[in-house]
Amino acid sequence: MTTLEERLKMLRDEGIKSIREQNHSKDLNEVRVNLLGKKGPITEALRGMKDLSAEERPKIGTLANAVRDEIQSAIELRSKELNDALIKQKLEKETIDVTLPSQPQKVGTEHILTQTISDIEEFFISLGYKVDSGFEVEEDYYNFERLNIPQDHPARDMQDTFYLSDKLLMRTQTSAQEGRDLENHDFSKGPLKVISPGVVYRRDDDDATHSHQFHQLEGLVVDKNISMADLKGTLEALCQHVFGKEREIRFRPSYFPFTEPSVEVDVSCFNCGGEGCRICKYTGWIEVLGAGLSHPKVLEMSGIDTNIYSGFAFGLGPERFAMLKYGITDIRDFYTNDVRFLEQFKGAIR
Amino acid sequence: MKISRNWLNEYIQLNQSTADIANKISLTGIESMPVYIGKDLSNLVVGHITKIEDHPDSDHMHICQVDVGEKEIQIVCGAPNVALDQYVIVALDGATLPDGVKIKKGKLRGEESNGMICGLDELGVKVKNVPEEFHNGIYVFDEAQKPGESVLDLLGLSDEMVDLDITPNRGDTLGMRGAAWEIGATYDEKPNFVDPKLSGSPKNIDLDIDVQSDKVNGYQAVVLEDVKVGKSPLWMQRRLWNQDIQPTNAVLDIANYVMIEYGQPIQAYDYDKIAGLKLQNAETQEVIMSDGTEVKLSSEDIVVMSGEDVLSIAGVLDTDFAKVTEDTKNVLFESAVFDGATVRKEAQRHDLRNNSSNRFEKGIDTSLNGLALDRIVELSEDILNPSDYSQHIVGKEYNYSPTTISATVTRINSLIGIELTTDEIINIFDRLGFATIVDGENLKVTVPARRNDMSIEADLVEEVIRIYGYENLVGTLPTGKQTKGGYTDKREFSNRLRYSLLSQGMDEAVNFSLLSKKEVEDFNVNETKLVHLLHPMTEDHEYLRTSLIPSLVKNVAYNQARKEFNVRLFDQERIFEKGHSDRPNEIEYISGAISGNIVDKSWNQKEQKVDFYYVKGIVEEMISYANLDANIEFEATSDIENLHPGQTAKITANGKMIGFVGKLHPQYQDEMNVNDTYVFELNVDQLFAFGSKVIQSQPAPKYPSISRDLALLVKKDILSGDIIKDIFNNGGKYLEDVEIFDVYQGDNIERGYKSLGYHLVFLNRSDTLTDEEVEQSFDQIKDSLVTKFAVEIR
Repeated sequence: MTTLEERLKMLRDEGIKSIREQNHSKDLNEVRVNLLGKKGPITEALRGMKDLSAEERPKIGTLANAVRDEIQSAIELRSKELNDALIKQKLEKETIDVTLPSQPQKVGTEHILTQTISDIEEFFISLGYKVDSGFEVEEDYYNFERLNIPQDHPARDMQDTFYLSDKLLMRTQTSAQEGRDLENHDFSKGPLKVISPGVVYRRDDDDATHSHQFHQLEGLVVDKNISMADLKGTLEALCQHVFGKEREIRFRPSYFPFTEPSVEVDVSCFNCGGEGCRICKYTGWIEVLGAGLSHPKVLEMSGIDTNIYSGFAFGLGPERFAMLKYGITDIRDFYTNDVRFLEQFKGAIR
Repeated sequence: MKISRNWLNEYIQLNQSTADIANKISLTGIESMPVYIGKDLSNLVVGHITKIEDHPDSDHMHICQVDVGEKEIQIVCGAPNVALDQYVIVALDGATLPDGVKIKKGKLRGEESNGMICGLDELGVKVKNVPEEFHNGIYVFDEAQKPGESVLDLLGLSDEMVDLDITPNRGDTLGMRGAAWEIGATYDEKPNFVDPKLSGSPKNIDLDIDVQSDKVNGYQAVVLEDVKVGKSPLWMQRRLWNQDIQPTNAVLDIANYVMIEYGQPIQAYDYDKIAGLKLQNAETQEVIMSDGTEVKLSSEDIVVMSGEDVLSIAGVLDTDFAKVTEDTKNVLFESAVFDGATVRKEAQRHDLRNNSSNRFEKGIDTSLNGLALDRIVELSEDILNPSDYSQHIVGKEYNYSPTTISATVTRINSLIGIELTTDEIINIFDRLGFATIVDGENLKVTVPARRNDMSIEADLVEEVIRIYGYENLVGTLPTGKQTKGGYTDKREFSNRLRYSLLSQGMDEAVNFSLLSKKEVEDFNVNETKLVHLLHPMTEDHEYLRTSLIPSLVKNVAYNQARKEFNVRLFDQERIFEKGHSDRPNEIEYISGAISGNIVDKSWNQKEQKVDFYYVKGIVEEMISYANLDANIEFEATSDIENLHPGQTAKITANGKMIGFVGKLHPQYQDEMNVNDTYVFELNVDQLFAFGSKVIQSQPAPKYPSISRDLALLVKKDILSGDIIKDIFNNGGKYLEDVEIFDVYQGDNIERGYKSLGYHLVFLNRSDTLTDEEVEQSFDQIKDSLVTKFAVEIR
C-alpha cells in the first residue's frame, strides 16, 4: 500500500465526516469547494500520481475517482437532508388553523320568483316556446274583451281591476297578451307557441295570501289539431319538471271565459306522494294552475279560422308555485326583500 | 249551493257516500265538498215540559220537569222563553254538541240539573238562520212531538249535503232540479220529477201587468186569496235553514223553497196594496227596502211598480210598500225572467246581492218559469189554506227557443284527443238530457233551457270529456311543425345584466310598481308626468313608479331596522313614463342600492365600508359585461335631487344620459332611516338599443411594453377623468393604458391642491418600441397637461 492510497482514504473518511457535520447549505458548499475544488486536497493528492509506477497508477486513479464519487454522494445526501429539514421547518411555521372562518366571498341570490319563473321559461323554451312578456299597462280591450269577457260579464267581478282611464288598466292577467300574440303571429310560418310571464295587478287588500301585485305565467299554443290531450301531456311534463319526476296531474272541469273546455289542474302532492298530508289538505292533490282549449271566439277575434286551427292556453302563479315548493306561508315575504329571506334561496333551482 | 241528500233522494237514489259524490262531482263538473251538518251530535231528544217552577236562588232561572220518553228529569233552564207544556230540545247527560262540547249533569245554584234545554244555534245552526222568535232563547217545536225521540231527523241535522262551489256559467245547479240533473248525469241516473198537482180550478182575476222594459223577458204571477200567513211546517223550515235561509213566515218560506227547488226566484207581494203592475226603468228616488235598508234608485234600475209606488227592484228585493206580513190577506207571487246583466248591476249598485239576484245573474231555467207558480199554489194549498187561487196572469210571455248546436263526431274526438264512437257520444248527451239527431258524422244537439251556458261546439266538447272522465284522457305533446323556442334578444340582454350583478354579490329584490305620491316624486329624474290610478285602494299604492330606487331604499331601511346592516340589492323591473300617447311607456331599468360594509371586521380583516368607487366599479363591470357598442363616461353632477351633490355621477353613452350612480343625500338618508347608502340606476332599454360591440381578436402582444410614471400637482377641483382623457389625446398611437396609482392631499401639499400619480404603459404590437418614441409621446403629454390644467410635474 502506498502512502498516496492511504492519503486518499483518509481524505475520504475525514471529508465525509466533515460533510455530515455541516448544518447549513452554505457551509456544506464551502466544504464541497474545499474538498473537490481545483485547489482541494484530492486534486493535490492526485498530483503525486506522476511519481507512481505504471501498475499502480490506474489502481490509484480508480480509487481517486471512487473517493470523489463518494464525497459527491455524501454532499448530495447531506444537501437533501438539510433541504428537507428546511422545508419541514417552513411547513411547520406556516401551519394554520384551517377551521377558522373564511374570508367571505359573495355571489348574489336571484329572487326566488325570478328563479321559479326562469326555470319554467327554460322548460318551455326547450319545447320550442318563445318568451314574450307583454305590457303591464294594458287596454281593457286586450285584458278583457279579446278574452271573451265583454263589459257586463260576471267574470269581471272575479278580478277587481285598477283602472287608469276608461280604456287603460293595470293588467289583471297575463292572458291579456293572448290577443296580441295571436294577431302578430304568421301562421303560414308554423304554430304559435309562446309563454308570457309577468306582473299582474288586482284590487285586493294585501294579506298573507293576497297581494295587489303578483306574477303570472301564461302559455298559449295554436296550431292544427291541438287537443285537450296535448294540453294534458304538456302540463304533465311541466309538473314533473317543477315538482318531480313521479308527479301525476289531474284535470277538473272549471270555467274561464277564454277557454272552453276549461280545467283546473291538480298535481299529486309532492310532499306525501298522494297519501294525504297537511300541504295537500289530506286530499293527495294540490291545485296548481288553470287551463283549457282556447275559446273559439278568442281565436276568431284574431281572424283565425277555427275550422282549421285549435289551441290551448294555461296560466300559473309563480308565487303559488314557490309557496308550495318551499313552504312559504306569507305572500308578502316576496316583496319585503328581507335579505335573510332572499338569501336562503341561493341556488334553489338548478 | 248545498245539495241535501235527503232532498236529492226525491229525484234520484244514489247509494254512494256523500264524500264519494262530492269527489266525483268535483272531477266531472263542479268543485264540491261534503258537509255533515249534525256531525258528532248525540243524545239530543225531544222533551216535554210538564212542570215549571222559579229557581229559589235566581231571578231568571227555572226548574223544569221534563218528560224525555222513558223518564222525567229535572233541568234548570235560564232561557226567558221557557214555559209549561213546550216541546223542546233536550241535551241529555252525556250529550255531545258541536265542537265536542259535552253536557254533564250537575247542580245550578244548588238545584239538580240533568241536562240542558237547547236553542237551535247550540246545535250548530247559524244564528242568522234561526227563526227570529228563538233568537234569545230555546227552540220550541210548533207541534207536539214524541218525547224521547231524537231531534236530529226532526231538525234536519242528520242530513248530509254536497256543497257545490259553482262557477258563473253553471247557474243551472242553483236549483235542486238542475243539481239533480248534474249529479244524475255523473252517475248515469236520470232524475225523476213529479209535476205539481192542483186541486180545484183557478179563479179568473183581472190584473193589468204592463211590461215596458225590454230587460224583462218574461213575467207572470198568481194571486192567492184569503190566505193565513202563519209559520211554515217544520219540514220546510229545516230545509230552509240548511240552505242558509232564515224561515220567517209561510208566504216567504214557500217563495224561498220554490226558488231552491226550481232555481226560479219568486217574489211575493201583499196583493191588497196593488192596483195593476208596471215594469219600467226607475226614477231617481229613495225607497226603503223590505229589509229596512234605504236605497237611492238609479234610472238604470228596473222596478216593479203599482201606480206611483215602487214594489221591488226587479230580481233583487222588494220594498216595504207591499211587503208580506202576518196580516196579509191576499198574496201575489211573481215569477219573472229578468235580464241577468241588469239584475247583476242593480245588485252591485245597491250592494244587495242575494239568492234571487245571484240566480238571475247566472241564468235561470226558463222552462220552469210557469211551473214554479203551480208549485207555489200546490204548496200554498196545504200551508196557506187560500180560499181561491188565480190563473197565471201573464204580463209577458217568455219566448223560449231551444238551442241546437251542430258538431261532428270527428271534431269532438280530435279536439279532445280521443276516439269515441257516435253511440258513446250520444249516450253522454242523453245522460245530460240533451236530445241528439244523428246524420252520419253530423250531430245536431238540442240542449234544455236550464243549460243556458251551452251555445257552441266547444261547449259540447266539454260535456263529452268531463262526463267521459278527464282521468281517462292520455296526455300527448303537440306534434306540429318544429318551432325554435327562446327569449327575445332584449330579454337575453337583460339576463346578462342580471347575471353580472349577481356575480358581483348583489341580491335581487322584487318590488311593487304602485307607490305613494312621495315615492314617485323622490327620484323622478326625467321629470315625467305622474300616472295615477282612477280608484286607488290606499295612498301607499296610488301612482305608477318613476324609479326603482325609492323601493330599494325602503328595502335597505327595512333590513337595517332588523339589524341587517350590509345590504346589496338590485331590482330589474319596469318604470312608467308618460309620453305622448295615453298609454305610459314601460321602460326596463336595472337599479341597485348598497349600504354597510364590503368587508366586515373579523379575526383577520379590517372593516371596509362601501364607498362611491366600489359601487361605480360594479356599474362599470356590468356595463363592460354588456359589451356595448358605445362610449361610456361618468360625469360629475349635482343636479339629482336626493343624491349627494359632491358624490354623484351621471352615466352617459355616446353623450346620452343612460343613468347615474351616487350617494344618497344625507338629509334623504335621515328621512328614510338608512345608513350611508349608494345607489345606481341604468335604463336597460336605452343600453340595449346601442347594440353589441363586434369583438375582433388580436394575438397577445409579442413585444415588451415600456412604462412611465407621471406625478402631478394640480388644483383640487380638476377631475382625474379629464386628465386621463387628455393623456390619451396626446399619448400617440402606442399609449396602451393609463392607471391612476395615487391620489394625495394633505401634509406637504399646498392647500387647495392635490397630488396625482399615473402609471402609463406604451406598447407597439408590431415592433420593438424604442425609448425615444416613448419619450417623445411622454413629453407631448406633459406639455399638454401643463398648458391645459396648469399642472406642476413633480
